[in-house]
Amino acid sequence: MIFRKKHIKNENQKGKWPLNDARDSLNNRKLKKGINDNVADVKNIFQNDSDFISRKFQLCGTITAEALFISTIVDTDKINRDIIRPLQEKRQDPITDFTPLTLDKKQERRKKDFLQWLLDDVLYHCAGETAEEMQSVINALLRGKTVIFIDGAEEALLLDTYKPEKRGIEQPETERVVRGPREGFIEQIQTNIYLLRYRLPVPEFRVEPMVAGNATKTKISVCYLDNLASKELVNEVKRRVNDICIDRILDAGYIEQLIQDNPRSPFPQIQNTERPDKAVGNLLEGRVVILVDGSPFALIVPAIFNQFYHTSEDYNDRWLVASLVRIIRFVALIFALTFSSFYITILSFHPELIPAKFVVAASSGRAGVPFPVVVEVLVMEVSMEILREATVRMPQQVGGALSIVGVLVIGQAAVMAGFVSPITVVIIAMSTIGSFATPSYNAATAFRMLRFPLIILSGMFGLLGLSVGLMFIINHMLSLRSFGIPYLAPVSPGNLQGFKDSVIRAPLRWLKERPAQLHPQDVTRVASGVKKGSANTLQDNEGGKSDA
Amino acid sequence: MHKHREHITPIQLASIIISTMLGVSMLAFSKFVVDGSGSGSPLASLVGAIIAFIGLLAVVLLGKRFPKKTIIGYNETILGKPLGRFINVLIILFFAILMGLETRQFAEVVAGALLPNTPIQITISMMILLCAAASLQNVATFAYIHFFYMPLILLPITIVLISAFWDIETYHLFPIIGHNSSFKEFMSGGLVVTQAILNFFVISMVIPFMKDPKKCIKSGIFGFWIGSFFVVVIVIMSLGVFGEEEMKQMFWPTLVLGRMIQVPLEILARIDALLLISWIYGVFTTLLSYYFVFVRGIGELFRFRHDRIISLVGFPVTFIIAIFPQDIYQMYDFILQVTFYGIFLTVFYPVLLLVVAKIRNKGGVSV
Repeated sequence: MIFRKKHIKNENQKGKWPLNDARDSLNNRKLKKGINDNVADVKNIFQNDSDFISRKFQLCGTITAEALFISTIVDTDKINRDIIRPLQEKRQDPITDFTPLTLDKKQERRKKDFLQWLLDDVLYHCAGETAEEMQSVINALLRGKTVIFIDGAEEALLLDTYKPEKRGIEQPETERVVRGPREGFIEQIQTNIYLLRYRLPVPEFRVEPMVAGNATKTKISVCYLDNLASKELVNEVKRRVNDICIDRILDAGYIEQLIQDNPRSPFPQIQNTERPDKAVGNLLEGRVVILVDGSPFALIVPAIFNQFYHTSEDYNDRWLVASLVRIIRFVALIFALTFSSFYITILSFHPELIPAKFVVAASSGRAGVPFPVVVEVLVMEVSMEILREATVRMPQQVGGALSIVGVLVIGQAAVMAGFVSPITVVIIAMSTIGSFATPSYNAATAFRMLRFPLIILSGMFGLLGLSVGLMFIINHMLSLRSFGIPYLAPVSPGNLQGFKDSVIRAPLRWLKERPAQLHPQDVTRVASGVKKGSANTLQDNEGGKSDA
Repeated sequence: MHKHREHITPIQLASIIISTMLGVSMLAFSKFVVDGSGSGSPLASLVGAIIAFIGLLAVVLLGKRFPKKTIIGYNETILGKPLGRFINVLIILFFAILMGLETRQFAEVVAGALLPNTPIQITISMMILLCAAASLQNVATFAYIHFFYMPLILLPITIVLISAFWDIETYHLFPIIGHNSSFKEFMSGGLVVTQAILNFFVISMVIPFMKDPKKCIKSGIFGFWIGSFFVVVIVIMSLGVFGEEEMKQMFWPTLVLGRMIQVPLEILARIDALLLISWIYGVFTTLLSYYFVFVRGIGELFRFRHDRIISLVGFPVTFIIAIFPQDIYQMYDFILQVTFYGIFLTVFYPVLLLVVAKIRNKGGVSV
């Protein structure tokens, strides 16, 4: 296997969540018969938490029962309407002689039947089950279930009444599009699954539940199409998610870092998206999408470098326009990485490259600048990064003021003060804007940070330093794998079909195959592009006339 | 997903040959060819390429015969352990020395054309470091690297050669067999070409990692002739443009060819420095191949599976070899001598090995 073993679960469970005393004593214990004992045990754990509620009532008017729930995460209306009310109603019990005191084998079975009868005939509620162990009762309570203890029964009823607070579906903040759906993922995993299911009404769509994080017990869903995604890939994803051993998963970013192939690389090897349409598009290419409860970002694995300058909009526009935009984005990415260091190289090592007409402008602009070009560029790049970071963190009301300060100080005043040359400002602006043109924020950040070593290298060794630095970066990218897939595919290793959807985006009808490097089970994406039939029935229609 | 999927394809094998062949020596070798055979150089280079081709044929046939073994492996099978190991040591030593000397040549060109004030030691160590870092990766990555850089090497060379086409003076190229040159003179020029391209030998370390090693013959021949085509055309162009006498005065005729290019639209005044970048890519892929043979060869010979340690040890070794020559003249003397003996190792020896393998009936389908 190429996969390196990363987060191997500790055999002795070192990172296990420590239990407090009250809970430690209840571990692996079955429920008792007496209702008061059970309630007391639970109350001993939750003590006097303000949102822990217990309510006593008479089941069918005769048997003592108690409902326990945590009021902040449940739907209290539902409890009143669908649980307590039907249970309290006096009805003709088919197992009439159920009493807690007379117990023989026959009645033992009847008692079980009684609980089943409650679930089947009495309760209007759809998600209900029974539990025997204290441990599962407590876990259920914390997951928003209502627990009902019945006097004399050794089992408890668990009824799902979970109701989380959630925001509405809004337009995603990070990947805005001009043309395309406006829906974005939100924090609730159920809503996110809905957003995928709504676009993929096929029975092959799998949503496998998993849990990670000893304390947060975060719900994770591994989604894929089981007739497309390669079995090996799906198993590998599940294995890696399963192997995660950490106390918290607060965002999809945790999962991303814990399951990626090379954690030391500056490049993201897993794509994240806020857009359900993008996630579905990737599912249909045979990739796997990981949803994490509490995070509005879905993870897409495996991810190759090309994906990071693609947007979902590319597929919605006509191919020629989309291809040109992609090329521009790619050029912007190259600009962001190399423009400033190339400028340093030319100015301080190879002035013979500057065309004769431009030499005067280049040198007169730098006349009063006290620093060498490297220092000048480095200072400007760092201040640009500071400006960017400040803009992200600032409250929106002050953001305007910041941009004015930035423009005035960095653009105008620095040049007038003779601190930097005007050409440097132009170069820095181009490389900064170039990095903002990349749709994926994490890939753009990687490139922005990598230009600092390039600046230093080219300041020291000119073109040699620049090209050696670039080679280091390219070699590293060539050696990267994302879930076993070469990062620079389909460029190297080459793949002609894959190349149609890389720097350019060929017409949809030409994209006949799913990406080969993903080894999908079914390769064909487009059979013939158009449905068969006469080519164009409107062709001979002379303006407005119709045969019908 | 699994390692067995990360195989080398025939196209990647061809690209390994091409980008290994086009390397450091491309700037200088045409001078030495012309030194030897004068206006007969184009024909002599073709003859030289054909000699190298014999070696390549032997290597790919051996690769087909032993689809699971590298040259280090089948040397021992064919010749027996003691003799096989001795030859293996020679091969590794040859590539180590070649690596050092060619790195030095690279550093000299950089000092001459790009960075006159930077000490060559820095250039040498940067390049070796780059190769050492890249040689830590697996064989598939090695192939990806070659495949990725190949167009970046071929495209600028093509631009230079096409733009030089208009400056050719045909009388420089005639008579086609040289002015009264003896057979020995003619061949001495031709052998320089063989010496320049004998690094195709690295594929003998790569063939067993192919998905279907039997396909190595076709792609090997294909890649070899594309590379040789460029080599021969470089000789023709530099001879045609500069002529015999002028070429004897200059060290790097190809670089001068690049200086003659005018860029339309006046984006940059001269682009020879930019062409040097693409040449640096070529140098890197070539040196990476040498280092790859060195690291993998030692690893396989001594059954030592820690490539990192070999790479680390290889760094000072190659560095010392690189700074050993006193000056650029001595360096070229060394290079020509070492590669001359290299012909025996990479051309005649594989043929011999193939014959011995046939006689002793080693290899074939069953192995």
